[in-house]
Amino acid sequence: MALFPLTSTFARRALAGFAALAVPLLSGCSWQSWLGLDGKQSTFQVEGPVARDQLQLFYITCYVTFAIFIIVGAILAYATLKFWAHSDADEHAEPPPQGHGNPLVEVGLIGAAVLALVVIAIPTLKGIWYTYDVPAESKADAYEVVATGYQWWFKFEYPKEQIAGAGPLTCANELVIPAGRPVRIALRSMDVMHSFWVPKLAGKVDMIPNRANFIWLKAEHPGYFWGQCAEFCGESHAVMRFRVVALGPQEFRDWVEHQAQPARSVAAAQGALSFAHVAAAPIRAYAPNEAGVSAAYETAPLDSWRARQLPNESEDPALIARGRALFSEKTCISCHTVRGVPGAMGITGPDLTHVGARSSIAGGLLENNSEQLRRWIHNPGAVKPGNKMWVTGYLVNNIHLASDEELALVAFLQSLK
Amino acid sequence: MSSTAAAATIDHHHDPSTATGIPNKKLLMWAFLASDCMFFGCLISTHLIYRLHPPPGVPAARDVFSIELTSFSTFILLMSSLMMALAVNAIQKGNLKSLRACLATTILFGAIFLGCQVYEFSHFVSEKHLTITSNILGTTFYTLTGTHGLHVLIGVIWLASMLAYSFTGRLTEKDSIDVESMGLYWHFVDIVWIVIFTVVYLLEYL
Amino acid sequence: MADALAKPESPVGEAHAAPKALVLWRPEAKTGLISWLTTVDHKRIGFMYGVAALFFFLVGGVEALLIRLQLAVPNNNFLTAQQYNEMFTMHATTMIFLAVMPLSAAFFNFIMPLQIGARDVAFPRLNAFSFWVFLAGAVILNIGWFIHDGAPNGGWFGYTPLTTRGFSPSHSIDMWVMGLQLLGVASIAASLNFIVTILNMRAPGMTMMRLPVFTWMTLVTAFLVVLAFPAITIALIELMMDRLFGTNFFEVSNGGMPVLWTHLFWVFGHPEVYILILPAMGIISEILPTFARKPLFGYPIVVFSGACIGFLGFGVWSHHMFTTGMGTVATAAFSMTTMAIAVPTGVKIFNWIGTLWNGHLTMRTPMRFALGFIWLFMIGGFSGVMHAAAPADAQQHNSYFVVAHFHYVLIGGSLFALLAGIHYWFPLMFGRRVSEGWGKLSFWIIFVGFNVTFFPMHFLGLNGMPRRTFTYDPNMGWNTGNLIATVGAFILGVGVAVYFTVMIYTFFKGERTGSDPWDARTLEWSLPVPVPEYNYRVIPTVHARDAWWYEKRNKDEVARARAAHAPGEASHGIHMPFQSIYPLVSAVGILIGSIGVSVIDADPGPGLIGPKLAVTLAGLAVFLVGVYLWALEGNEGYHVHPEEDHP
Repeated sequence: MALFPLTSTFARRALAGFAALAVPLLSGCSWQSWLGLDGKQSTFQVEGPVARDQLQLFYITCYVTFAIFIIVGAILAYATLKFWAHSDADEHAEPPPQGHGNPLVEVGLIGAAVLALVVIAIPTLKGIWYTYDVPAESKADAYEVVATGYQWWFKFEYPKEQIAGAGPLTCANELVIPAGRPVRIALRSMDVMHSFWVPKLAGKVDMIPNRANFIWLKAEHPGYFWGQCAEFCGESHAVMRFRVVALGPQEFRDWVEHQAQPARSVAAAQGALSFAHVAAAPIRAYAPNEAGVSAAYETAPLDSWRARQLPNESEDPALIARGRALFSEKTCISCHTVRGVPGAMGITGPDLTHVGARSSIAGGLLENNSEQLRRWIHNPGAVKPGNKMWVTGYLVNNIHLASDEELALVAFLQSLK
Repeated sequence: MSSTAAAATIDHHHDPSTATGIPNKKLLMWAFLASDCMFFGCLISTHLIYRLHPPPGVPAARDVFSIELTSFSTFILLMSSLMMALAVNAIQKGNLKSLRACLATTILFGAIFLGCQVYEFSHFVSEKHLTITSNILGTTFYTLTGTHGLHVLIGVIWLASMLAYSFTGRLTEKDSIDVESMGLYWHFVDIVWIVIFTVVYLLEYL
Repeated sequence: MADALAKPESPVGEAHAAPKALVLWRPEAKTGLISWLTTVDHKRIGFMYGVAALFFFLVGGVEALLIRLQLAVPNNNFLTAQQYNEMFTMHATTMIFLAVMPLSAAFFNFIMPLQIGARDVAFPRLNAFSFWVFLAGAVILNIGWFIHDGAPNGGWFGYTPLTTRGFSPSHSIDMWVMGLQLLGVASIAASLNFIVTILNMRAPGMTMMRLPVFTWMTLVTAFLVVLAFPAITIALIELMMDRLFGTNFFEVSNGGMPVLWTHLFWVFGHPEVYILILPAMGIISEILPTFARKPLFGYPIVVFSGACIGFLGFGVWSHHMFTTGMGTVATAAFSMTTMAIAVPTGVKIFNWIGTLWNGHLTMRTPMRFALGFIWLFMIGGFSGVMHAAAPADAQQHNSYFVVAHFHYVLIGGSLFALLAGIHYWFPLMFGRRVSEGWGKLSFWIIFVGFNVTFFPMHFLGLNGMPRRTFTYDPNMGWNTGNLIATVGAFILGVGVAVYFTVMIYTFFKGERTGSDPWDARTLEWSLPVPVPEYNYRVIPTVHARDAWWYEKRNKDEVARARAAHAPGEASHGIHMPFQSIYPLVSAVGILIGSIGVSVIDADPGPGLIGPKLAVTLAGLAVFLVGVYLWALEGNEGYHVHPEEDHP
C-alpha cells in the first residue's frame, strides 16, 4: 500500500502538532503565550484583584457564549447540510410543507436564552460593585494618588506626601505605587478626554474634564507594568503611554523620601568649567516614528528601573553645569518644574525634578537614555507629532539647540536622579 | 369620483385613498413632530442638566428673567393657537374670508410673540449683561428659546405664505389638509413653548 | 409642500377649473442627464442611492486598506499620525453614513414600495430631496481631502472637548459637523417618507401582519432614524454654536461638561447601530424563505423581536460609556438592558435556523451570503454579550476587541446581508443574473478575507492593544496579529474587487433572466422586468402573507379579485407625478449654505458682510427659491394608459 507510509507520516505529524498544541494548553498559563496573549498589556496575565475579577467574568462570558455557539452552530451546520438541495431534481421538487413556526419551540428558546444570560448577569452585577471602589474593609489601608491627563502625558500627584513650599509630590508618566495595598487613583483631565488603563492591574476608567472620576487597583507583588491612554485624545494619542511601578513597603517609603528631595546637584562643587570646546557628534538620523525602546532593558524591567535610581557612574560635572544653565537660558523652566533649580517652576509640562530616575521619557514612549533623550529634545515634533513642547515651545520661541547644547542638556537631565 | 354630490362634501377626517384613512400629509406631519419632540427634548435636557450642575459664577436666572412679559407673550401664543384652529375650521367649510381673517390674526399674534422675544433678548443683553457667550445659563437659555423662536418664525413665514396663496384663488376646500398640517405644526410649537415656559421660567420661581 | 401621489379619484374637472399652478418648467425627459436630475421615481432614486453608496463603500475600503498598511508592522512610517487620524475618522464616517445607510436606503427605495404593492412612495419629490441632500452631505464631509484644512480627524464620535475650537481649530471639524447635519436631514426626511408610505400606501389586503419582513424592518428603522437623529442634531448644533459663536456647551473653563456630548452622541449612536443592522436582518428574512422554499419560521415573533430591538435600542446607549464613571447603579442598569437586547436578537437567529429546517435549500449566491451572515453575526453577537458584562468591558472597551466585535456585526452582519441583497434583487432591478461560479468565488474570498482580518483583532484587543492608535512598539506582542490582519484586509479587498467586477460585468453582459427567477414569495417578484415606471398596472389585492407565493398557487382567486377593480383603474389611467427640478435646487442651496458655514473662514470681508456670511445667505436664498417653487408647482401629475397585454 503506497498510501500507508504517507498516511502514517501525516498521522505522526498531526500527532506532533497536537502534542505541541496540547502541551502548552495543559501546562497552565503558557497557553496564553501560545496564542500570543502574553504581551506587556495582556489582560490574561493579571497581577491584581481588579483585573483578576474582570478576567474571571470574561471567562464566564466566554464559557457561556462558546457553549451556545457550539450548540447553535452545530444545529445550523446540520440544517444546512441536511436540507441542502444538491441535485436539480431536489431543487425542482414540490416545495416542502409550508409550516409557519412552532410557538412552543419559540418560547422554549427564549426561556433558554434568558437563563443563559442570567448566568452572566449575576457575576456581572457582583463585579460592577467590586471593581467600582476599594472594598470597605480595606478602605483604611488604601493609598491615594491623583492622576491627571494632558495631551499627551500623565501627571501623578501624591496628596499624602506634601513637600514644604511645593505642594504635593509630583511625578510624570511613571506612577510608583506600594505593592500589596489598594491604590485609589483620582482621575482628572486638564484638556481633552483621556483614559487610564493598566491592563494587568485593572480595566480602564476615563479621565474627563469637569468630572471627578476615580479608579482603584492593587498590585499583588512588586512589578513593572505598562499602561496607555485608551481614549482618542488627538494627534499623538497612540504615543501617550505610561508605566506603573509597584514597590514593596520599605522600598516605596524610601522612594517617596528620595523623591521629596530637591533635584540632585552635581556641578555645585565644581570650579571653572570648559564646556565650550566639547566636540559634539551630530545626532544620528532617526526615521519618523522609529522605535525608541530596547529589548535588553525590558527583560527584567523592575531591576532595570531600580538600577536607574542610582547616579550614573561617569558624569561630567562641567557638562552638567552647562546643561543646568541652558535649562534656564532656553526657557525650559517656563514649562518644567525642577525643584532646586531657581526659577524652574513651570507647570505646563511634566515635573522633571527626578527625571533621570525614570525608565522612560516623552510620555512613556522612549527609553530614558542619553541617546533617546537627545533625540527627543533635538526635535520633539518628530517624536511626538503636535506636542506642546514643539508647537508652543520650540516653534513659538524659536528655540534651536546646537549639538553641544543638546549634549549638555542631556547630561543635566540624566543627572537628575 | 364621478358623482358631483360626492365631490361637494369632502370628508376631512378620512382619506379613502390611504390604507389607514389618515391623509398622507397629516401622517407626515405627525411623524415629523415626533422627531421634533426628540429635538426639543434634547435641548431642554441640556438646559436642565446645566441647571442642576451650574458652574460657580452663574447668575440666578430669577434675577435675569421678567416673568410678566413672558407670561404675556405665552398668553398671546396660546391665543394664536385658537385662531389657527378657527382658520382650519374656516377652510374646511370653504370660507376663504374667514380663513384670511384667522390667518392674519395668527400671524399678528405670532409676530407679537417674536417681538416680545426680541425685546426680551435685547433687554437681557443690554441691561442684565447676559449674552450667549457670557456663561452657561446664557448659552442654554438663548439656544433653547432661540431655537423655539426660529420655529415660530418659520411658522409665521409659512402662515404668511399661505395667506398670500389664498389670494391666488388656488386654495380651496379640498386643500384644507395643507392648512390643517400647518396648524398641527403651529399647535406643536405652542405646546413646546408651554413646556419651555414651565421648565425654563416657572421652575425658577418655585 | 410635499405631494401625495396617485389619487385616482381626484376630480379631474375641478382641477382644470382652478387657476393653473405656477409652473416654470415641467421636465419631461425620460432619458439622459435631466431625467436623472429631475426624477421622482423611487426606483431611479434607489438606484442612485445604490451607486453613491457603492462608490463611497470603495472609498471607505481604500481608507481601511491604508489604515491596515500603516499598522502592518510596528513603528511604521507609511502614514503620519495626522493622516492616520483622518483615515480612521473618515473610514468610520464613510462606512456608516455614506455606505451602509445609503445602501440600505437604496433597498428601502427600490424594494419596499414594490413589496407593499404601491406605485411610488408617498412623497416622491421629498424622496428626491432626501437623496440630493444626502449627496450634499457626502460632498461636505469629503471636501477636506482636497483643501488645506484636511479631512475631519476627531473620530466619528467627535468627542468634545477635542473637537472644540480650542483643540481642533481647523475647518475639518466644521465640515464633519455640517456633513453629518445634512446626512441627518436627509435620513430624517427619507424616513418620514417611508413611514407614511408603509402605513398609508399598502395595497388592499396588505395588513400590517402580512407585510414582508424587509418592509417591517424598514418601518422600524425609519422610526429609529426619526427618533434617534434629533439627538445628534442637537449635539452637533451645540458643538457648532461653540465653534462658531463661542458658546459654552462644552467649554470646560465655563462649566461645560464633555460627558453631556457623550450621552447625546450615544443616545443617537446606539440606535444607529440598529439602523445599520435591522435592514440587514430584513433582507436575510426575505432571502432565507425564498431559497428554503418555505415561509419564514415564526413570522410574528421575528417582526415583534425586530420592533423590540428597536425599542430596547433606546435604552442601552450608556454601554458605550461603561468607563466614564457612571456609578454602580447606572452601569448595572445599562448592563442588564444590554443583555436583554440579546434575547430578541437571538430569537431572530433561532427563527432563521427554523426557516432552514425541513426546507429545500437551493444554494445560490444570495443564500451563501445569507448563511455567511448568520455565522458571522452570531460571532459578533457573542462578543457583544461579552461587552455587556460591564467589568469585563472595562478591559475590552476601546481596544481592538471592540474593533473585532463591531466589524463582525457591521461587515459580517450588515454588509454581508446587503451584498446578499444585491445578488438577490439584481434580476428584478436589471433583468440579469450574476454567474453562480463568480458569485460563489467572491463570497468565499470575502468570507475568508474577512475572518483573517478581524478574528486576530479579538486577540490583539485582549492583549491590550488600544484602538485609534497610529503606531505601536515592536515589544508589545502585537506584531503577528497585526500582520495577519493586514494580509486578511488585502484578501478581503481582492474579494470585494472580484464582487464589484462581476457586478459591473453582469450589469452589461450578464445572463438575462425573466421575472421571478428564484421562484420567490413576495409581491415585488410578480412584476415584469424591467419594472415599469408605474410598477403595477393594476394595484394588486393581497390575500395572504407571502402574497406572490400565494398568488402563484391560487391564480383563479387572485384573477377574480383583480378583474373586479381593474376596469375602474383602466378608465382614467395610472396617475404619475410630474418630474421636478426643485428638490435638486433646494439641496444645492443647502450645499452652498453649508459650504459657507463650514469651509469658509470667518474673516470679515471688505464689505458689510464677509464672504462666509455672503455664501451662507446665498445658499439660504437658493434653498428658499427651491422650496417656494416646489410648493407652488403643486403635486399634479399626468396619466399613463399602459398596454393591456401585461399579465
